[in-house]
Amino acid sequence: MLEIRWHSRAGQGAVTGAKGLADVVANTGKYVQAFAFYGSAKRGAAMTAYNRVDEQPILNHEKFMRPDYVLVIDPGLTYTADITANEKENTKYIITTHLSKEELIKSQPKLEGKEVYVVDCMQISLDTIGRAIPNAPMLGALMKVSGMFDLDYFKGAMKKVLSKFPQKIIDANMAAIERAYNEVH
Amino acid sequence: MAKKYELNEVEVWDGNMAAAHALRQADIDIVAAYPITPSTPIVQNYSKFLADGYVDGEFIMVESEHSAMSGCVAASAAGVRAATATSSQGFALMVEVLYQASGMRLPIVLTVVNRALAAPLNVNGDHSDMYLGRDAGWINLCSYNPQEAYDLTLMAFRIGEDLNVRLPVMVHQDGFICSHTAQNVRPLQDEEAREFVGEFKPVNSMLDVANPVTHGVQTEEDWHFEHKARQHNDLMNSMKTINEVFAEFKDRTGREYTPVYTYKMDDADVAIFALGTTVESARIAADQMRQKGIKAGVVSLRVLRPFPFKEVQEVLSNVKAVATLDRSAPGGTFGMLFNEISAALLAGGKKPVVLNYIYGLGGRDTTINMLKEVYEDLDKCAKAGEAVVPLQQFLGLRGPKLSFY
Amino acid sequence: MAKDLKEIKDIEEIKELGWDELLPGAALFSFREPVEDVAEIPMEERPYAPTNSHEWQVGDWRVEKPVYNRDYCIDCQFCWVFCPDMSILSRDKKMIGVVYEHCKGCGICVEVCPTNPKSLLMFPEHMDNQEALAMWPKKEEKK
Repeated sequence: MLEIRWHSRAGQGAVTGAKGLADVVANTGKYVQAFAFYGSAKRGAAMTAYNRVDEQPILNHEKFMRPDYVLVIDPGLTYTADITANEKENTKYIITTHLSKEELIKSQPKLEGKEVYVVDCMQISLDTIGRAIPNAPMLGALMKVSGMFDLDYFKGAMKKVLSKFPQKIIDANMAAIERAYNEVH
Repeated sequence: MAKKYELNEVEVWDGNMAAAHALRQADIDIVAAYPITPSTPIVQNYSKFLADGYVDGEFIMVESEHSAMSGCVAASAAGVRAATATSSQGFALMVEVLYQASGMRLPIVLTVVNRALAAPLNVNGDHSDMYLGRDAGWINLCSYNPQEAYDLTLMAFRIGEDLNVRLPVMVHQDGFICSHTAQNVRPLQDEEAREFVGEFKPVNSMLDVANPVTHGVQTEEDWHFEHKARQHNDLMNSMKTINEVFAEFKDRTGREYTPVYTYKMDDADVAIFALGTTVESARIAADQMRQKGIKAGVVSLRVLRPFPFKEVQEVLSNVKAVATLDRSAPGGTFGMLFNEISAALLAGGKKPVVLNYIYGLGGRDTTINMLKEVYEDLDKCAKAGEAVVPLQQFLGLRGPKLSFY
Repeated sequence: MAKDLKEIKDIEEIKELGWDELLPGAALFSFREPVEDVAEIPMEERPYAPTNSHEWQVGDWRVEKPVYNRDYCIDCQFCWVFCPDMSILSRDKKMIGVVYEHCKGCGICVEVCPTNPKSLLMFPEHMDNQEALAMWPKKEEKK
């Protein structure tokens, strides 16, 4: 079972991102789960979303999770949210930031010694989509780091997921995914 | 004619989307609704389907849940298919009309996304609303995941509208843990679903103007008792139709439903008896206990009403200890499952240890570890042959341990 | 199976029905058989079912009765509209009289009658209608 936790602000698209990922994975015959903690979710409030992926039907409905991947799509949450909660020894972190990896770890010492990847999903989404919706670039970065799907397959699958949107938006999302895929390190 | 909705063989739907598609495919004539968290997306998705041309029926926005169910009662008495969705406070406001619907024998379908009842205000999942309405004379079907929420919603129409039944049907799903959790769902294509659900058959329709009929009559002590007896009799006997519809659904989809759900109960010494998503989580806990040599199983009610009394007796006939998990504040007694399961066992001449756990109120997370603790308690009791832990415990509660008896 | 209430002839028989003989949902039918365009069929020719209130006589509840006086009636139909028991007989928009089997003596017809003097007035139940008509009041002068 592969488990992913997203840290986001309500409105940044973590739920949509988690569901988009679930859609793509389900098309390959695997079983998926995508959910989120809502509370009294006001736009901008810190929130978490989750994915589970398995070869077998997923029966686990506990919210508790020891994530394999932690995806932080808002730069500020690295400092204000408990992004290392319930981590495993080999939990991988993909974090949105304009800082270099070294600068980031220096600014948030609890990431010291962990497998950390950085990518500036905010800037990428502003450049490509024109709005700060950092979910699509994060998926591109996840593909690169996890090796879950190759870039072309994933882009093809995401085009299907986004098929109800205008072509312009689909193209912008594809550009965002590709750029994050290439820039994450 | 409604447009056909293109569906993939496997969709990733949360429980709300699954229920909304089942309602769309059921060709409902009237949906009267007043949305409330966490069932809002059912109504929202349905109205979008309607606006986009995928639904032929009418959608009536009303001013309260009381009116939503009243609208459904009126539509159903008029002789058409009616359904709605609600949760929690909305369900509570509907209660008066729930009794009207069942007493008038109107086969309305209500998708209930289970949520805690205030106070304190809480939008998350527990079974307070399900327990509040369990004696309202409706057939109650329980789902554990989005696929089942979809399947049971389709089957609800067939069961309730059967000429031997003619009773309203609730389909329950857990708020957020099911309703907002997207999982793999294998839907029927529109034409298959329509064929399965079939045409609505009006009975004593008010729109049949050549045969004027009065619905919602007053009876006093002269007839009321006989009418309620008839209603109870038909609800008890609806199990036959429920089983027939389950069997036909299995033939079409391969997905099997039974009034009592069991997992590894053939040789189980200890069992967790729960409702909702917890049933599936308990399977994982049971498997882990079996690796430790404890013969653990899981039991649930797919059909809460009519209560499958004999089947419950049968499935628990050889267990040594059973834990009843109630996700609703019991209000001064044991939880509903404890009372009903104990009664069934006692009437069947069996006396295993029966424990009661109150858990998950207001959406409190139910972890695999908590469920394993329950199995550990059960194992101790099974080995001792008596209750060596308190009969009623609160599971996953902060503060000093709370237990009774 | 429920008995078809439309088949039952005698009201007393309905009172004795067992739980297994009742129509589920307590629905009550008006007629024994389908009636197309009921408005065109005079009341006395309609095939009322025993469950229709037409078959239940409540006239003996009365203490006072309304008496109708054709001489002053303008066939405005107010009484027909307002009568809560369908006890005003009217045919082709012409007032005929009062159905004493169903009239409970509420007096609404008298209250709404606009003529001067009124065309409907309440009299003691035991009084003969001819006697009542003979003592009908005269037109009231405007003050």
